[in-house]
Order: sequence, then structure tokens, then C-alpha cells
Amino acid sequence: MSEPLLKLDRISTGYGDLTVLRDIFLTVAAGEVLCITGRNGVGKTTLMRLISGVLPPQSGSIAMNGQDIAPLEPHARQHIGLSYAPQDSVTFAPLTLRENLTLHHKDHSLDRYQGLFRRFPRIEERLGQVAGTLSGGERKILAFCRVMAEGGSLLCLDEPTEGVQPENISHMAEEIRAAAEAGRGIVVVEQNLSLIEQAADRVIVIDHGEIVHQTRNGPDMRAEILEKLKV
Amino acid sequence: MQEAIVFSLNVSYGIISLALLVLGLAIIFGLLGVLNMAHGELVAIGAYTAWAVQSAGLPLLLALPVAAVAAGAIGWLMEITIIRHLYRRPFDTLLATWGISILLREAIKLCFGLEYKSVIEPVGGSITILGADYPTYRIWLMVAVVLGFVGLFLWYRRSHAGTRVRAMVANPMLASAVGIETAKLARRAFVLGAASAGLAGCLMAPLIRIDPYMGVDYLLSSFFVLVVGGLGSLQGVFIGSGVIGGAETAASTILGGTGGYVTVLVISILFLWLKPGGLYARR
Repeated sequence: MSEPLLKLDRISTGYGDLTVLRDIFLTVAAGEVLCITGRNGVGKTTLMRLISGVLPPQSGSIAMNGQDIAPLEPHARQHIGLSYAPQDSVTFAPLTLRENLTLHHKDHSLDRYQGLFRRFPRIEERLGQVAGTLSGGERKILAFCRVMAEGGSLLCLDEPTEGVQPENISHMAEEIRAAAEAGRGIVVVEQNLSLIEQAADRVIVIDHGEIVHQTRNGPDMRAEILEKLKV
Repeated sequence: MQEAIVFSLNVSYGIISLALLVLGLAIIFGLLGVLNMAHGELVAIGAYTAWAVQSAGLPLLLALPVAAVAAGAIGWLMEITIIRHLYRRPFDTLLATWGISILLREAIKLCFGLEYKSVIEPVGGSITILGADYPTYRIWLMVAVVLGFVGLFLWYRRSHAGTRVRAMVANPMLASAVGIETAKLARRAFVLGAASAGLAGCLMAPLIRIDPYMGVDYLLSSFFVLVVGGLGSLQGVFIGSGVIGGAETAASTILGGTGGYVTVLVISILFLWLKPGGLYARR
């Protein structure tokens, strides 16, 4: 059996002496969309920081295609195919949209964005504008476009729909599904059930730093998640 | 009329030479948030390099790359041994670089002694501008510095490498996430800042008194420029140099050296009080 694209095995992490996530075990296969949801402040973003390399593990292991990536800095993880859009500060505010999108491509070409520009035409219209002037939702779309076009095999999106209008959320879900069908693995931290229903293969619910529920996308999924999100 | 032209050229020279001296500190402070207290000593190393090269009977032009490499190498050594462990700890970097400045000053004393040194201008004589005579080397220096700043500005705003530096400064975490090796880029920026200081000392060497304590004065002037101009932009360096260099030259001409120094001090205090971000804060 081949190795999963991403595997977290009994991993714990946190900030200083504070442990936020405990004994997390999860896998993501190539071509799979895993959505992670939960109430505010339960450790979802901490998990994304751990996967992207911003936060080191306190214990346990993390591997990508069987390779231990715990010692790798975020830039080194990007080089082996992990693309990440954080929850906050998702763009380079003083850089233009064009610079934001081409920064990591030596050819400076926008060709790889043509399909995304058709979905999100406002981005193409504003290529010469600095990202700091965009609204919160537009910044999220810009970061989403960057990650989708980056060419990584594992895409990590932290709350990509925050402040984004419903029509564009559907476009995002379609792009995520298309990427999964192309064989890429996708991890999405999300509270928007609409996107989860449209895009997820599998859903994990986190509470108090632990995985409390796992389910596959199906008719009962919404009710199951809502039950687990009750305070 | 001639006096007015000479006065204008003196003010221009004051502004441009100050911008040259500040550049290295502005790069390191503006891009990395490190208050490099050893900046003045790196300027001094550039000046001593010019003296050593000229004393060896070699052309002064040769001193430029030697000074940049010498100061850059010291910057590299500082970064890999001490500074890189202290990023985002401003007080610690201040103390560490202050210690390094003392070490460098003592090393200079040991190598070159306490007595003043002087460097002969490589281009002597004067040029007549609108009927006023002005030293050729100063004119040459002003043109070279302005061209250098324009080149640096274009590199920073237009090149791929410059864009990556701007990205790192704007959002270091995201820069790393998009594949930029921020630690390596920070090291290069530190070395560039140190090399700029060495180059400034070398270019200014024929016009200044060279002694082991010269760095302290340049460090203070540089801080005043950053206070007035704001951090993190070449525009800020030029605007700050314009205000500080212009005010000091004008006030010194009218009130004498002490009056010029007091004027600069008062302006800096007013800015710290009323406009702490400076005139051109990074956006």
C-alpha cells in the first residue's frame, strides 16, 4: 500500500509550555479533500500552522509522501509541494496583485491563472493595484488563487471563505474539487458548511485540541457536524 | 550670486553625503529591525581601507571593492555568529551590536593606532559652476551617489530579488510559506547593509578626518536621519537626509558648528515627540 500524501501520527503542538493540540492522528490521500471544522479557538489554525511548518511539533511525527518533514522550515515544505494560505495576513499588502501572484514563479507569467481569472475576474481587473487596498474577502480570493496555481501536491487553506460572497464560495468549491480530481490532496480549515458540503470528501471536527468526530460527506453530515458544534 | 551657488552646493553635498552614510544603517534597521550600533565602525573600516590602499601606493579606486568586501565580510560574520539568533529581539540586538562596535573600535586602534589619518582626493582641483568654483571630487561624489541611489531604488522596486525582499519585509511568515528562504535573504540584506557602510566610509575618506572614534558621530547623525525620514524606504533616507543634512549645513553656516548640532538635535526631538513614524514611514 502506498504512503498517504500527508500523515500526522500522535502529534501534539502548542505555544511555549501550552499544549493546544494533543495526540492528533490524521491522513490525507492524493485526490482527497479533508475539511477540518470546529468552534472558535479549538486549535484548527494551530493544526494548519503545524502542517505548514510555522509551528514545530512538541511530540509525534509528521510525514509527506513518507518523508519526515518535521525538521523542514515552511519554505522547504513549499519546495517539496506544500502550498499554504494562512488565516490572517494572507497577502503581501505593499505588493501589487501581479507581484503577489508571480512572486514565487521565476517566469513572472500569469498564464497559469487564466482559469482562475475567469472564475474571479475582479482579481485580473486589479492586477496593478496593491493588495493592501483590497477588501478582506478579495484578499482571501487572491490568496486562494495563489495557492491553487502554485502547483503543489498538497494544498492547505485556512478559512478561505472568510468574508467571501456566496457566489465566489461556490467557485472556490468547484476549484477545490477540480484540484482533487487532478490528484492533489487538499486540507481546508472551514466553518462554512456550504463549502464543506460542496467540496469535502471527509470531515474532521476538532474540540479542545482533540479530534472528536470524523465523517464522510453524505446526507447526514451537516446534522452530525452541527450536533458536534453545539456549545 | 557665487556665494548662493556655493551655499546651495554645500547643502546638496551635506544631504547627499549624509544619505550615503545612512544607507547601510537604513537597510539593516528598515528591513530587519536590527539597530546596528556597529554601523559607525563599519564606516570607519571603509575609511581605513581607503587609507591603507592609498598608503600602499595603489589607486584609490581599488579601495572601493576592498572596503565593501571587508565591511561585508565583518557583517556576514556578525550575522551568522550573533545577529541571526537575536532577530525580533530589538534590545538584545542593540546590546550585542554595541558590544561589537567596541570590539571593532579596539581592533582599529590596535591595527592603525590612535593618530588621525588622511586620504588624498583621487580627483583634485575644482569645477566652475555658474561662476562658482567647487571641488571636483565633491561633485563627482554627489553624482555617483545619486546614480547609485537611483540604481538601488530601481532594483528594489523592479527586480525579482527586490520584490522578494519587499515581500519578506511586509510579511515574513507568508514569505516563508511561498518558498522564500527568509533566513538567507535576511543574511544577504545584513551583508549588503554592512558593505554599504564600508563603501560609504571609503568614498568619504578623502573628505573627512579618519580616527578610531569617527564612527560614533556617524552613528548619531544616521539615527537622526532615520528618526526624521522614517524607516524602511529609500525615500525616507533621502527625505531624512534632506532635513537633517540641509538644516545642519544651513545652521552651521549661520550659527557655527555647535549651532548646527543643536538645530539637528532639536529637530530630532520634535519629530520623536510629534511625528514618531517620520516623514515617510513604510506603508
